[in-house]
Amino acid sequence: MRTVLRILAGLVLLAVVIAVVVFFGFTGSGPVPPASRDLEALGEEERAELVALGEYVAKAGDCAACHESEDGLALAGGTPMETPMGTVYGTNITPSDTHGIGHYTADDMYRAMVYGIAPGERRLYPAMPYTSYHSVSREDIDALYVYLMAQDPVEKPNKAHEMAFPFNLRPLIAFWNLIYRPDPPEDPGPGLSGGDQLAQDRRGPYLVDVLGHCGECHTPRNLAFAKTDDHLGGTVIEGALAPDITPQGLSTRGWTREDLAQFLSTGLSPQGVMTFRMFPVLSHSTKYLPDRDIEAVVSYLAEEMPEPASPPSDPAAIEAHSEGHRLYMGLCAGCHGGDGQGQPFGSVPMVGNTTLMLDNPLNLHRVIREGIPARHLSGHLRMQEMPAFDTMLEDRELDALSRYLRDRWGLGAM
Amino acid sequence: MTALMTVTMTINGTETNPIEVPEDLMLLEFLQEYLNLTGTRYGCGQGVCRACAVIHDGPRGARAVPACITGVAWANGRAFRTVEGHAERDDEGNVTAMTPVQQAFLDHFSFQCSFCTPGFVSAAQALVERLEAEPVPADQVEDVVLAALNENICRCTGYVRYLEATRDVILATPGLTTEGGQAEGS
Repeated sequence: MRTVLRILAGLVLLAVVIAVVVFFGFTGSGPVPPASRDLEALGEEERAELVALGEYVAKAGDCAACHESEDGLALAGGTPMETPMGTVYGTNITPSDTHGIGHYTADDMYRAMVYGIAPGERRLYPAMPYTSYHSVSREDIDALYVYLMAQDPVEKPNKAHEMAFPFNLRPLIAFWNLIYRPDPPEDPGPGLSGGDQLAQDRRGPYLVDVLGHCGECHTPRNLAFAKTDDHLGGTVIEGALAPDITPQGLSTRGWTREDLAQFLSTGLSPQGVMTFRMFPVLSHSTKYLPDRDIEAVVSYLAEEMPEPASPPSDPAAIEAHSEGHRLYMGLCAGCHGGDGQGQPFGSVPMVGNTTLMLDNPLNLHRVIREGIPARHLSGHLRMQEMPAFDTMLEDRELDALSRYLRDRWGLGAM
Repeated sequence: MTALMTVTMTINGTETNPIEVPEDLMLLEFLQEYLNLTGTRYGCGQGVCRACAVIHDGPRGARAVPACITGVAWANGRAFRTVEGHAERDDEGNVTAMTPVQQAFLDHFSFQCSFCTPGFVSAAQALVERLEAEPVPADQVEDVVLAALNENICRCTGYVRYLEATRDVILATPGLTTEGGQAEGS
C-alpha cells in the first residue's frame, strides 16, 4: 500500500515538475522582432503619418468591436463577449497609466497582439484574437502603438471577467497556447505599412484572416474553444449564427463579388442588411476600408467562387403553408411586399435574402422576435426600424411563419 | 393576380359583414375604402409615423397597432377601435361626450393641423386602459407616457402638449397610479 502511495506521489510530483518546466520553458512569448524604426525619435510629420496609418490598422483590425465602452468611447473597454466558459470584457486600451496601456512599450504591444501575453507575463484570454493577429507585421504594430499612445487616456477601470472555474485560472491559458497558438510566420511581410509592397493577393488574407479576424466568429470552434480547420465555415456564437462565408457557402446563397463589396462597404446588399454583431463590424471597420482593400477582401473570400445560383422562389409554399402565408400577408407584407420585393431603405427584400437560406433558422427567429433598430449604415444610407413581433406571435405561429418563409424564398424552394 | 380572401372583423363594437377582399389589403385601406371610416390617417405608409394607429382589442388587452402595415390577413376575425369609436354618441350618431383623452387634447390645444391626432388618441387611450390593469407609481407617469407616445410623430410639434394632456388624464383618473409622491395634476 505504501509503495503504491509513494509511486502515486512520485507521479504527481513528476507531473507538477513537467508542468512547471513546460510553463516556464515553452509557453512564454516567442521572439520579438526589432522595432521597425526608432519610435522615440520620430519627426512631427513622420509621427503624424504613423498615427494615420495606425488608425487605419486599428480600424482594419476592428479593435473597437470589443474595446468600445458602454457609452461609445471606442477604446475605453467594457464590451462583453459571452462565451460558454463565462463573460470576458474588452479592456481599456487608451494610454491611461492606471487603467489602460499607458505603461506598455512597443515590444509589449507586439507580445500582447502576437503571443497573447501582457506585461507581467499575464496571459490574455484568447477572446483577444492573438491567434489571428499572430501574423501582424511589426511595422503595423508599431504604427498601431503610436496611434494608441496618441489618444486621450480614459480613466476608466476595467471590468473583472466573469469566468467559471477552472477557466478563471489564467496560468492555464499557457497550456492552451502551447497547443492552439500558432507561431508567427517567418516573414509576415510588410503589412499595411508596406503600401503597394503588400500585393493584392496577400492583402486579402491579411485583411480577412489576420487583422479583420473574421474567423473568430465565422469559423467553428472545438471543445477547447479553439478554431477548427473548417475555415469560415459558419457557426453559432453569442446567440446568433455567423454564416458560412466560404466561396461555396456564399455562392449557394447567391452572393456575387459585387454584392459582397457592397455589403462590406455599406452594410446593405440585395441579400440583406448587417445585423447582430456584424453591424458594429460595419460601423467600426469595414465601411472605412478603401475600394482597393474591399476588392482584396472580396477577391480572397470569393476565390474560385462557383457561379452563384439565382434567388430561389417557390409559390407552391403558399398552398403548402397556408397559416404561414396568412401571417406573412398580415404582419410582414405591409413592408416586405406581397411578393417579397421589399422597399428601398425601409425593408429588405425576401427574394434572395441570405438569412432565409441559412440551414439554421436561429437568426430569422431572433429578427422576427426582437426586430432590428433603425440604423445609420454608411454615408447617407439608413434603414428604418423593423418592429419586434414577440408579443404578436405565439411560438407555434412563429414556427409556421418561419417554415413558410424558408420554403418560399430559402434553399428549400430550389 | 392577387388572391382574394373573405374577411370579417369587429370595428368599434360592430361586426362587419363578410366581404371578399385582396389578400394583401392593408387594414387602413379596408377601413377607408370598404367601411368609409376615413378618420384613420395615411402618413408614411411604412409603420413609422403612427398617424394610422388604431387600437387592437386582443387577449393582451388594448394595443395600438399601425393600420397601414397590418394586413387584413391578420386583422380578420379580430376586434379594433378607430378614432370614430371613442366618443359617446346618441342614436343619430352625433357625438355627445368625448373621452377624457380626447377632451384633454382639446383643452391643452395639443394639435394644430390634426393629421397625427387619431394616432395619438389611439396610443394614449391604449395606455390609459393598460394602466387600468397595471397601475404605475405616480412619479413614473411622465416616463410611461413618453414611452407610450414616443413613436407617434407630429410635424406641427405638438409633442409637449400631447404628453401633458395624457399625463394629466392619467393623474386625474383614480386607479391608474399607485402611491409615488406626485400630487394630482401637479
